[in-house]
Amino acid sequence: MSGDDECTSGDLLTRALAGEQAAFGALVRRHQRPVYSLALRMLADRHAAEDLAQEVFLQLYRNLSPVSSEAHLAFWLRRVTLHRSIDRLRRTPRYESAAPEEAAATASETAHADPLLERRLQCLVRELPPAARAVVLLRYQEDLDPVDIARTLRMPVNTVKSHLKRSLAQLRERLSDKAEALT
Amino acid sequence: MSEDLENEDLERRLRRALAAVDPGEALVPRVMARIAAEPLQPARPARAGAVAGWLAFGLAASVILAVLLAHEWQVRRLEQGREARRQLIEALRVTDEKLHLAYRVVNTREGAAPQEHSGA
Repeated sequence: MSGDDECTSGDLLTRALAGEQAAFGALVRRHQRPVYSLALRMLADRHAAEDLAQEVFLQLYRNLSPVSSEAHLAFWLRRVTLHRSIDRLRRTPRYESAAPEEAAATASETAHADPLLERRLQCLVRELPPAARAVVLLRYQEDLDPVDIARTLRMPVNTVKSHLKRSLAQLRERLSDKAEALT
Repeated sequence: MSEDLENEDLERRLRRALAAVDPGEALVPRVMARIAAEPLQPARPARAGAVAGWLAFGLAASVILAVLLAHEWQVRRLEQGREARRQLIEALRVTDEKLHLAYRVVNTREGAAPQEHSGA
């Protein structure tokens, strides 16, 4: 473990603001996982997700001064990642369709009890409209409550709740359809 | 197989399926390389504060200038009104003098005319 890994994000932020690039690198290392995962699940493309994650961190480097705390930093990164992903999906709709190899690759990274079902769930999440997908990711990947999701995506709380309700119903229905097709 | 998934079960499975994945070792060096390639400096709070201060100063100066210009315009309008009033009064005075003179001339002639006739 390096010295930077033991520092708090507040310390790292202060040092990065002072122009210390190693501190900024440590911040990137600390927050790369959620940023990359959100981008990957939104875009369903590893290269596009990594490119987007790089852009998000570059944007953070350029706009570091308004970020005041670790919570604020996490909030900022989630918001920028999702808004950039949704913008990219609007510009290049090819990312809308899930590539099976990408699904397999992400499923293989998480060794869990039922990889087949999880892979199906990942594919079904990718079929959701971008705004609903963003809500589902913030709820189940980032474990945010509807109020925080609403703040992150700048949408009313009731819209978040209705996205969640509809998405869960849609996922359950499609999962049942696929199960029936298999039997 | 998943036909009777309850909400909680589905949510639990979603959490597992959507667990964050590792981007690998390459992301951090690539980000740092891009930062090194573009010599950017993170914005300093002092700089942002200075910009905000200058903006506030500019806004305040604009408001004061607008108030002064409006006051100046009002004063000029009042002065123009006073000057027009003065000129009107002067014109009325001159007209009054001329009318008075004409009245006197006419009255003088009318008084002198019968004497001329009676003398002839």
